[in-house]
Amino acid sequence: MSKIEIKEASDVILEVGRILLASGSTTNRVETMMLKVANCFGYPKTHAFVTPTGIFLTVSDGKSEHRTQIYRVESRQMNLGKITAVSSLIDAMVKAHCDTSQGKMSISKLKAELYRVDHTRNWPTWVQIFAGGATSGFFCLLYGGSWLEFAVAYAVGVLVSLSVYLLGKLRLTLYLANLVGAMLIVLFTKMFDVWVPYIKIDNIIIGGIMLLVPGLAMVNAIRDTMSGDLVSGMAKAVEAIFNAVAIATGTGVMFKIWTLLGGA
Amino acid sequence: MNHPFNYLTLMQFCWSCCSIIGFSIRMNLRGIKVLFIALGAGLNWGTYLVILHYSKSLLLSVFLSTLLVCIYCEIVARMVHTPVSVFVTCVIIPLVPGSSLFYAMRSFLEGDRVQASHHIAYVFLIGVTIAMAIAVVSSFTLLGKRIARSAAAAGDQFDVADLMDKDNKK
Repeated sequence: MSKIEIKEASDVILEVGRILLASGSTTNRVETMMLKVANCFGYPKTHAFVTPTGIFLTVSDGKSEHRTQIYRVESRQMNLGKITAVSSLIDAMVKAHCDTSQGKMSISKLKAELYRVDHTRNWPTWVQIFAGGATSGFFCLLYGGSWLEFAVAYAVGVLVSLSVYLLGKLRLTLYLANLVGAMLIVLFTKMFDVWVPYIKIDNIIIGGIMLLVPGLAMVNAIRDTMSGDLVSGMAKAVEAIFNAVAIATGTGVMFKIWTLLGGA
Repeated sequence: MNHPFNYLTLMQFCWSCCSIIGFSIRMNLRGIKVLFIALGAGLNWGTYLVILHYSKSLLLSVFLSTLLVCIYCEIVARMVHTPVSVFVTCVIIPLVPGSSLFYAMRSFLEGDRVQASHHIAYVFLIGVTIAMAIAVVSSFTLLGKRIARSAAAAGDQFDVADLMDKDNKK
């Protein structure tokens, strides 16, 4: 059985890590998945060290060959669908080709699958934007809003999801995107408050804020810390705190601006 | 109406489910797991309300409902072949203290420092309580995995290479 070239193998392993890390996976999962793939390709002495912003990888077969690569992950966007797809792809691959020792996974097939996962979207953008509206609206109901407030919160949620999507194209930092998002929530709500009578804006704004809360960063921070990745646990915790502060700041700033402009 | 199992709780359960369906579609998830995630989120908010009614303690009910729902995630996520962290991320969202964050900011702008610090304290307390509940469940899962691994295998898990070498010799 011919062995897979170390260069080719390490490139594919790095690609797996890149997709997982860029869609916001826990670093422990990234490391585990990379090691699984390496093991499957016949490089069992591989070591990986992943932080939230970069990957260090040494692929080695334990005898003569080894190769080290570093990859810096610049942009990260939450995409739980991609994490799920890559994880189940690799689990299926390991189960079908490695545990039974029937033969190695064809590397070109894995590459093609990874490319497909990386470039498909599960939902069209407009569905995601309307789903954002639904999130915001139903949270408004959950915290005690009326049906009229639900309608306004739905509209605010759609508008904010749309603007966050457009802001994402500008490649703002996560902090700034959350700040501007929170400002827009208050701005849209206040504008609706002018036109629509008899609504309480509190629940609508809370519904909007729930779209932006850093749930993923918080969960990742805890799970990373528990699995022993202290560096990324700390980094994610700081990210969560910063984002919460950004949301609070954005809300406050827009309230103040609205008051200074003479609004109620 | 002195018990919490009435139609109001059921409605809250439904709102929680619906909002998390929206949230998980926004996070690009698709398939049957969206329904399980929504069910978990409804369960989270529902148990929170029920426990809050009986215990009258906010933090205890947050802790217990998160604990319960994390155990639910650990079981169900494995059944539908999804990473557990994906499940937990979506499911805890209804309890995340976004409302306290907003009220704190608003009280601060109104000049009411006492109310503002009261709400800020709640943001931290609820956040840390959720974190602790997740930490408890995930560290117990890690412990369980470790025990299972050491019980099952004499060698280490990643030594497939030996197997492959043996195959080659055949």
